[in-house]
Amino acid sequence: MIGKTARLPAALAAILLASTAFASAKTVCYVTAADSHAYATPANVALNDRAKELGIEILSLSQNFDVQTGTEQVSTCIARKADGIILWPLDPQAYIPALARARQANIPAILINSPMAEQANDFIKSFTGPDVYEEGKLAADSLNEAMKGEGAVVVIAGQAGNGTTIGRVGGFVDRLKEIGSKVEVLETVNADFDQQKALVASRDLITRFSDRITGVYANDDTMARGFIDAWKEANSGKPTPPIVGINGQRDAFDSIRSGEMYSTIVQSPVEDGKLAIETMAEILDGKDVKARLPIPLTVVTKANVETVQPAF
Amino acid sequence: MSAFVSTLLRYRVAVILCLTLAAATLIVPGFASLTTLSLGLDRGSTIGLIAIGLTVLLIAGQIDLSVGSVFAVSGIVGIMLQPALGMGWAALAGVLAGTAARVVNGFLVVALRINSLVATLATMLVFRSVAHWMTASQPIPGNDIMFSITLSEIYLEVFTVCSGLFLVSILALHVWLTRTVAGRNLFAVGSNALSAEASGISAGRIMFLSFVFASTLAGVAGVLQSLATNTGSPVYGSELTVAVIAAVVVGGTRLEGGRGSALGTLGGVLTIAALTTAMEFQSVPAYMQQVASGLILILLVVLDRTVRTGRRKPAAAPVHA
Repeated sequence: MIGKTARLPAALAAILLASTAFASAKTVCYVTAADSHAYATPANVALNDRAKELGIEILSLSQNFDVQTGTEQVSTCIARKADGIILWPLDPQAYIPALARARQANIPAILINSPMAEQANDFIKSFTGPDVYEEGKLAADSLNEAMKGEGAVVVIAGQAGNGTTIGRVGGFVDRLKEIGSKVEVLETVNADFDQQKALVASRDLITRFSDRITGVYANDDTMARGFIDAWKEANSGKPTPPIVGINGQRDAFDSIRSGEMYSTIVQSPVEDGKLAIETMAEILDGKDVKARLPIPLTVVTKANVETVQPAF
Repeated sequence: MSAFVSTLLRYRVAVILCLTLAAATLIVPGFASLTTLSLGLDRGSTIGLIAIGLTVLLIAGQIDLSVGSVFAVSGIVGIMLQPALGMGWAALAGVLAGTAARVVNGFLVVALRINSLVATLATMLVFRSVAHWMTASQPIPGNDIMFSITLSEIYLEVFTVCSGLFLVSILALHVWLTRTVAGRNLFAVGSNALSAEASGISAGRIMFLSFVFASTLAGVAGVLQSLATNTGSPVYGSELTVAVIAAVVVGGTRLEGGRGSALGTLGGVLTIAALTTAMEFQSVPAYMQQVASGLILILLVVLDRTVRTGRRKPAAAPVHA
């Protein structure tokens, strides 16, 4: 016992030394949406790679799509005395108190990929990522064109309450109204950006509405894939109705070539991840950054599928 | 020597907690600080408040799987009624919604004699659906984000409102369990409901009240969480139930009933909070954290068995380790 107590001060001294050594390299805390996900993973990798080039240390925490975990992780970042926080928000409001704490501790925070409510603007330096509302509008234009302005669609949306979902669904619905389209929305379901959930939800939709479905809008290509699989099970040999997805995955490009999908919107996770860490690097260098930094978007159909690079 | 070992075993939760903290301090740079303590307490307090209710319920020999769903429903009620009732009354209504939920659970288990695992599995699903139905599966924002910010402020460098409330409640529970007749009756009911009944204790009433107590606390936790995030969300608390049960069991409360303690639960909650925080500091992936919690749980249950077989002889003494 005595030996142990004598060792304690030495251990404490070692910790102090270690903490000061750590303080020299800038540490940025990255609270990401998930570890393994078709879009999030390449964004995470791109962010980490670029950070290495910039000489920034990344402390990566994954919420696994759980908002509550995420709010606690922001607190961890503060306790860890990170030099900056990059947050991938999954809810428009819930992180605000945690972000307020970060500001109190003088830790600059930015949002990656998904927007938050306006009240969050006071607590963040910037929001980098795609304009998801714009994507919804582009998807509406594209699907409206494919359906020649009339018919009935099902919407396979992402996670309920998620900013990306709200923007992509809202932009779509608003745009249809704006252009006076006769396309009617039969049903909107949440499939959490998950192919398996989209497959199950699509089976139900196909059983309920069958031939009335003349168009499909999925909030991402993963879920569009889920619908295509469900359609093939139910109507083998019958061509799919026009399907519009978002993200511009490689397999969506294949589906566009084969005619299973009508279009997708390329939003590059690599650009998304890179832009976030580059913006944070500028903040750490004491530079001013714009409050909103979007990444480019491209609508891909059969017409340009051979000339555009897939996002991942 | 054997006395030393048995003391260690007896206070195994405290030992594990200290070991966790010591290891975290040594391995994780910057872990030992007041900020870590306050944020760790704050994150533990949500689980902790629910764990208090569940400790009582487990001692009475029952279990409740619906705490996570009740947590969500209460939070939603607390946020939804804000425009109509104002924040204070809405919060109270949220807590009462939690109480009401468990009146249902208590009725199913005590009056209809449905096994509590089955009954609360059913109400877990029902309440979760109610949460989705009430909100149309959308998180609803509250009125006043500034209040949320005040609520998550840190006082005396360590405490937030939530963590302060948790610590006070757990001390109150400790006193109630060890110093009052009602508290001892609870142990009696949990060990053997029939013989408790025979000695004049109304087992049904105690079980029913335990359910009401547990749900009310889940309601309090739900409302606090929703106020702190200014959001009522149907998905809140979906991963909570397992974490809470783990914390209570790590704290030495027996799933079979009749044994458990408030301080044990405190130890369990703090151990899990410390473990999670330490691993997040090192950016250990979430699934690895679960593995570590699981291993600690198994270790403690094994130790628990060792202690029980070792302490069979002085069985006459009241057991409330």
